Amino acid sequence: MCFVVRRVVVARSPPIIFSLVLQVSHLAKRYGHVTALDDVSFSIRPGEVLGLIGPNGSGKTTLFECLAGVLPADGGVVLRDGQPLSVRDRSSAFFYMPDGIAPWPQQTVRWALAFAAGFFGNVTKRTEPSDLHLTPLLDARIGELSKGQRKRVLLAVGLLTPQPVLLADEPFDGLDLKQTREVGAALRSFAQTGRTLFLSIHQISDAARFCDRFVLLSSGRVCGEGTLDEIARRAEAVRRAPTDTLEDAFLALT
Amino acid sequence: MRSRRSAFSWLLEKEARELLASRSWWVMLVAMGPLVGVSFISAVRTYAEASGLNGTAAGVGEAFSPLVGVWAPTFSACEIAAAFLLPFVAIRLVSGDRQSGALKLELQHPLPAVARIGAKAIVLLAAWTIAIAAPMVAVALWRAYGGSLYTPELVTIVAGHVLNAGLTVALAAATASLTEHPSTAAILTLSVTVGTWILNFIAAVNGGAWDRVAGYTPTAMVAEFQHGLVRLDVVLIATTLVGAGLALAAVWMRLGVDGRRRASESVAVGALAAAVVTACTFVTPSWDWSENRMNSFPRADEETLRHIHGPLRIEAHLAPEDPRRTDLERRALSKLRRVMPRVQVDYVSATSIGLFEQTSAHYGEIWYELNGRRAMTRATTADSVLETIYDLAGVAAPPETDEVFRGHPLAVPPKGAAAVFYGIWPALVVAAAFLVRRRRA
Repeated sequence: MCFVVRRVVVARSPPIIFSLVLQVSHLAKRYGHVTALDDVSFSIRPGEVLGLIGPNGSGKTTLFECLAGVLPADGGVVLRDGQPLSVRDRSSAFFYMPDGIAPWPQQTVRWALAFAAGFFGNVTKRTEPSDLHLTPLLDARIGELSKGQRKRVLLAVGLLTPQPVLLADEPFDGLDLKQTREVGAALRSFAQTGRTLFLSIHQISDAARFCDRFVLLSSGRVCGEGTLDEIARRAEAVRRAPTDTLEDAFLALT
Repeated sequence: MRSRRSAFSWLLEKEARELLASRSWWVMLVAMGPLVGVSFISAVRTYAEASGLNGTAAGVGEAFSPLVGVWAPTFSACEIAAAFLLPFVAIRLVSGDRQSGALKLELQHPLPAVARIGAKAIVLLAAWTIAIAAPMVAVALWRAYGGSLYTPELVTIVAGHVLNAGLTVALAAATASLTEHPSTAAILTLSVTVGTWILNFIAAVNGGAWDRVAGYTPTAMVAEFQHGLVRLDVVLIATTLVGAGLALAAVWMRLGVDGRRRASESVAVGALAAAVVTACTFVTPSWDWSENRMNSFPRADEETLRHIHGPLRIEAHLAPEDPRRTDLERRALSKLRRVMPRVQVDYVSATSIGLFEQTSAHYGEIWYELNGRRAMTRATTADSVLETIYDLAGVAAPPETDEVFRGHPLAVPPKGAAAVFYGIWPALVVAAAFLVRRRRA
């Protein structure tokens, strides 16, 4: 059973609207006859680590690409303090770091980081290569890195951008357990500087470990939004049985 | 601290670095040496023999112009490179971002798409300028041999090849943006190039409107520049097409914009370009910057023709593939159009080759009509055309005042050119590529 979070928030807790960074409202996207996103609505709060949870093919990447404006949405709006943001203006709110890309493969990590900070015009350098253990990789070419190394470089590039919300698609994909924990800790400490992180994660256990709140996505629809407790309560109401983990809650709500 | 450099300068640096990392660019640079070398060596050898080297009859090459004898064939290497090598360099630079995923990152900067494609175009133009260093080495060698150099015609020929490269870059950028994969873009680009050659062939066979359209293909455009002729309509049309191609590339680079909107914007760009191109076909100014004024009548004749008013109509009964028609066009009518823009030329023929029209009584006739008076000749030389027009206009032929072009014969073999273009140039380029790659490692 699905519900539209924005309506709930607006109707029951009007003051919360003013503390919201952004609201995503009724976002829709179709690929021909296939519905990728259907009436997707949720909110993003400042400084939180928000997890986008969903199985493969649930529309996580499509949602991020539509939010960042690198893919045209068929409907819906993004509101900032209640005012709609044009697709062009979204680039000032979101920075999207896709999964599975190898940008500038012939260039060194050092140059890529300098380019990210310079091109995107970062006001304050809020991350250092050492934060993500990139120092030994600085002179390596991006195209020669392993999947996990490349993932860390891309995260560093994302963290160097100035937009208030970073959308990271599968930030832990390709990382081993130790790296996952280190990167997760780095991301959490980074969020404490005030920037919002919106992480698409298909490993629910990883999401439960690092995120403050969650948006559950299944078959292109939002099936739940909130903290672990809020989602668990919602799942218990649906399931009529205690729900201890995010995995159980996800299964109950999808 | 906020970076003091603009986003555009970062983008320029990135494109330059991507170009230097591109194998296709280095391959093109290496290939330019032998391509220019084979053309230059062959041209200089022929020029030298015609000028009296190895016992050729003295005086044969006295009216030789280096523009036609050396520079046109030498720079034709640039035409080959622009058609078959440059597209791959351009496609690599435009498609590479989409293939690697860098485009998705860079598009999140609010920089206009036109600026993005502009940065690529600037870098590609710089790349082409470096590639043109190969024929410029040929110029230096020619000077070392004691050859004559007339700067305006050399500048004209270089400008023509830069404009031609601009067309290639714009076409390749548009196809690379429109298509998902570089190989599709390469096929499309080469198809358009081959298409223009087919158009030239059809024009040669059928003449008429085809001939007029074919006058604006890259091959025809470059040929005019290689003869030292700069036509404003050609320059404007080529510039418009370059702009349209880059605009299309910018439109399709914006992945976040709805496909229907991008399609409608493309139609608007195409319609605007078509309107501008059509308007430009009515522009008539042109400049003959060849030293021997090969595209112009003598100055006195031009002055006399300018004072002949009234529409001049010429009806030539010659088939498109008849050599006499080619003679008439090259020796007289192309020069006449530059002085008398209102001249109307109609070709009449029932077949394309004219072989079986020879028995027709009127075949081969060239009719002139000026202010209600008519005259007919069968001669296709410049002198006969001018004489007929003067008779119709009732004016006397002016005395010749131009100095006769004596030419610049040079009976010197292309010493050292083979070593330069087949050995030193490729070696230097390979060394440069190696050093650049090592420095960036």
